[in-house]
Amino acid sequence: MKAHINGREFSFEHDETILEVARKNGIFIPTLCELNDIDHAPGTCRVCLVEVDRQDTVGPHYVTACDTPLGDGWKVMTRTPKVQEMRQLQMELIMADHHQSCASCPRNGNCELLATANSVGLKQVRFHYTEGWEDLEPDHGSQPVIYDRSRCIRCQRCVAVCRKIQDVDALELAGWGNAAGIRLKGGSVAASPCVTCGQCVMVCPTGALAERDQTQDVLDYLADPQIVTVFQTAPAIRVGIGEEFGLPAGTNVEGQIIAALRLMGADVILDTNFGADVVIMEEGTELLGRLKKSYRPTFTSCCPAWINFAEKHYPEILPLLSSTRSPQAVMGKIAKTYLAEKRGIDPKQMRMIAIMPCTAKKEEAARPALGENGVPDVDIVLTMREFARLLRREGIDLKLLEPSAYDDPLMSEYSGAAAIFGTTGGVMEAAVRTMYYVVNGKELEHIEVAQLRGFENVRSANVELGGEYGQIKVAMCHGLKGTRQLVDAVLAGTADFDFIEIMACPGGCVDGGGTLRSKKSYIPHAMMRRETMFGIDRKTKVRQSHNNQQVQKLYADFLGAPHSEKAHQMLHTQYSARPCGVIADIQAAWDELKKQGGR
Amino acid sequence: MNRSVYGVWDGKVHDFRLIELGEQPAVLTGLDDFAPHNETKAFIADRGFLVFDRDMSLVEAFSQYLSQAARESCGRCAPCRVGTQRMRDLLQKFSAGLTANGILDDIKEIAEQVAETSLCGMGQSCAKALLDALHYFSDEFKPLKPAQAIFQHSFVYTTAPCIEACPSKVDVPKYIDGVKGGKFDFALGVILDKYSMAASCGRVCVRFCEIACRRRSVEGAVGIRMLKRYAADQAIANDRLRFTKSPIRRNQRVAVIGAGPAGITCAYKLLLEGFQVDVFDAQKTAGGMASIGIPSYRLPKDVLKAETEDVVRQLGGHFFYGKVLGEDFTVDDLQDKGYDAVFLAYGASRGSLLGIRNEDPKLAGYASGVDFLLKVHQHVEHGEPFAVTGDVIVVGGGNVAMDCVRSARRMGARSVHLIYRRTVEDMPAEDDEIVAAQREGIVFHCLTNPSGLVVEDAQVRGVELVSMRQTELDSRGRRSVEALPDSGFLMRCDLLVAAIGQQVEPSVLKPEDGIERDRWNCITVDPDTLETSRQGVFAGGDCVLGPLTLVNALDHGERAAAAIRDYLDDGEVRIRPERRMQNFLAKNKLFAGECLKTPPLHQDPVTLPELDASERIKHFGEVDRVISKEDAYAEASRCLRCYRLYSVVTAKPLQQPVRAAHKESTFTSNRP
Repeated sequence: MKAHINGREFSFEHDETILEVARKNGIFIPTLCELNDIDHAPGTCRVCLVEVDRQDTVGPHYVTACDTPLGDGWKVMTRTPKVQEMRQLQMELIMADHHQSCASCPRNGNCELLATANSVGLKQVRFHYTEGWEDLEPDHGSQPVIYDRSRCIRCQRCVAVCRKIQDVDALELAGWGNAAGIRLKGGSVAASPCVTCGQCVMVCPTGALAERDQTQDVLDYLADPQIVTVFQTAPAIRVGIGEEFGLPAGTNVEGQIIAALRLMGADVILDTNFGADVVIMEEGTELLGRLKKSYRPTFTSCCPAWINFAEKHYPEILPLLSSTRSPQAVMGKIAKTYLAEKRGIDPKQMRMIAIMPCTAKKEEAARPALGENGVPDVDIVLTMREFARLLRREGIDLKLLEPSAYDDPLMSEYSGAAAIFGTTGGVMEAAVRTMYYVVNGKELEHIEVAQLRGFENVRSANVELGGEYGQIKVAMCHGLKGTRQLVDAVLAGTADFDFIEIMACPGGCVDGGGTLRSKKSYIPHAMMRRETMFGIDRKTKVRQSHNNQQVQKLYADFLGAPHSEKAHQMLHTQYSARPCGVIADIQAAWDELKKQGGR
Repeated sequence: MNRSVYGVWDGKVHDFRLIELGEQPAVLTGLDDFAPHNETKAFIADRGFLVFDRDMSLVEAFSQYLSQAARESCGRCAPCRVGTQRMRDLLQKFSAGLTANGILDDIKEIAEQVAETSLCGMGQSCAKALLDALHYFSDEFKPLKPAQAIFQHSFVYTTAPCIEACPSKVDVPKYIDGVKGGKFDFALGVILDKYSMAASCGRVCVRFCEIACRRRSVEGAVGIRMLKRYAADQAIANDRLRFTKSPIRRNQRVAVIGAGPAGITCAYKLLLEGFQVDVFDAQKTAGGMASIGIPSYRLPKDVLKAETEDVVRQLGGHFFYGKVLGEDFTVDDLQDKGYDAVFLAYGASRGSLLGIRNEDPKLAGYASGVDFLLKVHQHVEHGEPFAVTGDVIVVGGGNVAMDCVRSARRMGARSVHLIYRRTVEDMPAEDDEIVAAQREGIVFHCLTNPSGLVVEDAQVRGVELVSMRQTELDSRGRRSVEALPDSGFLMRCDLLVAAIGQQVEPSVLKPEDGIERDRWNCITVDPDTLETSRQGVFAGGDCVLGPLTLVNALDHGERAAAAIRDYLDDGEVRIRPERRMQNFLAKNKLFAGECLKTPPLHQDPVTLPELDASERIKHFGEVDRVISKEDAYAEASRCLRCYRLYSVVTAKPLQQPVRAAHKESTFTSNRP
């Protein structure tokens, strides 16, 4: 079939939308709600208007390009004065019930709505009103993600990513008219299937969804002379945050981050990678012990959203999870005991601040089991976005800083194995390197285990461990949709594995729910960030966790051996079932019907 | 009368403000007497508006109309969410006298955008009449005068083609919204607001809604029924649905005769209102024809029980089984026992005779469709002895005939034949049922009619048949059938089932009951209020309608409950304005001939998963499976939400003020 767009003739297939055909041929039509990367075109913003002349009816017609199939012989115009006026009015209507204070918006400076407003040439906003902003979701203490309806454009991308990409399905479309928006099913994180992975935030075009901002707390700690601030930075932060300051995607800015923290007055600067090395020592030992008893499979436990997922959706598999705490939690515990002791810091004055690519880490830090007497081991978790905000508030431009290096002698060294923790397959590879050494008393020869490095959502491989273990079967999964399939297979007895690595976010931590947001795309930089991680591994002096000298010192001076009683007590944890299904609340439905004016 | 002073309808301008013309054909019928003793001043719809009283305020009428639009807007797409609110507010401003600053131009600009670019039928239709009015009659837009405010009341009714097609007027787009939005309990709540039998209706409803679905002309109607079942099953199958007794207590007692769909629905609604309800039934279980007439491979008995007997008991209702009206008790007895109102819903359960030679219901090897299904039911559910082994012939082409052939197959008949006098295309049975029967190896003999039975030793041994042929199209474009001369032939059988229809049992009521019936023994009722000729006695379902559908019975049950409540609370029964509007819309066929301006993007309909025919004929287990959540979301997203608003403006309010005492908490608490 053939049709004209802006006077040029194009051929197209049956049921291709006007937008698809236009894009394929390099013709721009402004869009807002649509997100091609997750195959989402809900048609709610109605901005992508075009003018259509059809032979069969009297025109012109004005249709939305995203959800209108192009017809044979149609003449589509994307730039007539009328179409441009209509798009501008549409934008005006979208802005009419939108929060007008961009200055206080978490998406300030990086907003898709403003970008689209620019692209349609918006000149004025009449008809503004604020009804429907009331009754906003309260900010529950540890809730990592906050929804603000006054900044919501009802694109439902969050709902789509939660359903289609993660298969968690924690969100529902709530309310009617000007109070329409989204809501966690059941009204709260606890009652809903939500695992706080934060993928909803990653696709939100505005500041409607954002992390609970804790930068102010960190600034307050930095300003307080009584407080000893201890920072840890996750493996994925250094390969992601450079983009915020105009550096190419995947640039390693570890040195600049250290310099920045020092500039801000951080008292102790540690690296979560150290914690990752400790995790490998513990988890590797734990796994070998379980394998000896033919207790299988074992699931990794680094990813807090995965832990939530298991507790809420598959409580029956909780005994299969490694009991080892996550690197963040390990860092918190060791800092407030070992580090405090060795460096003579009063742990009561110590504040552990973790910079993470993750929203679920905020919730993890608040778990009662990961603290002592109500005081959490990790006091504050900043997502990468908050960290960027913190740097801006301190007037720091990362790309102008001279890289610096760690100076802490106890908890900042890391191996190449720890460096790759932030990408899918990384935890597995790190564990294999150490387990191989433990079993055979010698290092693995081909240290970069190629069969673990794919990028499909669910992968499996066989790894030769040697000794009494021989070949072990491992699987790796990133994204919870694949995870669900894998767990179902394990429960059904159709998946035969010894060790399974799960990362809840597609792409792993480098694209976690706490990383920088992209406009109009979903995880566009995964491969570049990942390559940088592999590069860091290659350049690191030691490439196995057990060869990290600070880790060796930790065990020699403090913990004893991996999985010793002390290590077990400090570095392991338990999980509990958190069911989220409830009795059907029909009365609530009736109340809602009545409120709406019921029929 | 019915002649408008001015207005626009389907783009045609009517303006008789200055020139008084003679007789003009009415655009719509039934507006002047929309409600008795209440002058109709204007009517607003998606296709235009008509004003009958020039002294009414056009601005106020549109302001009310758009207020409803703003309330009804789902709020997803920008033009409808914001546009409806803004139009309402600007109209209110104008109505209050703030007429400066080109306010009408602003309204017009927004109205055009809302009508042209909204995502669904709600937004697309709600501003059209306003645009017409602004275009042709902007001089009639004047601030509201105090006198106008007193004598002008809008009743705005929101509906859609699928809703109006449904006898029970279930808000289909709303529960599809619920599924689409991931609010399955809300979706179920929309249905349970009408009747309790959501999962049953979600399995066996004849789906008038899907016939009316505007998506039908694109790639197939939205699978409305499967979405209803999905919403119901996710609560019922996981045992997440519980009812508790209504917190409201009323002293009045109501007797419901018949635990079928109509009776159960009436009991359910009255119990929610706090009345005391006793249900009497001739059978041992609740469900009526849904229980004995619909085999469990289509409607599992546990599902049916959960939303009939269980719900009524949970709400505090009582059952008296094995009690037959006309045999064990009379209507007078009920009154003597202190029941304040009676709802008759005893169905139509007597099989119709074929009217052929040698026919006698007492013959061995002869059964009516309902009697056969009852025996199957009692065999499958209660283990009563019943064997079907030989060759079975079923006469008929409706759903009951399909139930009979498919049940006979499952009972183990050697062969099963269906005899129907017209063609397959003419069969009143649902297409799905016909296809399912064919897949199960039923032999169809169409254009074949029985003329007599072959009886040996008081046992049916065969049927004499004649071949039929279609006649030419008659003047109304329909074909009839006629017998082919000398085409008689014989088919042997061991069981003949006459499934050509049912009748109301005549012996249930006696003349001394004082309840009027027609010549088919159907109870005569007021079609709106379901009152019978005897005060305090209401009737509905098949005993009024003759054998009709499940959803017709559900509708009667619900409306009867509303009428009984009015009767017991106020001593008089009202016709609700919604009902008046529904009658008016139906009379004027306001949904006919609609088409989609631009066809929507193709989305494949979800197909209902079912057991393979070779497997399912071995037992009475359910054939249709529930769809996956993914499919439910996909199917729900196909709904075009063809909502539209109809407003009638009258001198006095149509909505009776609800009595304060019963205003709050009309529904039972269902919180855990």
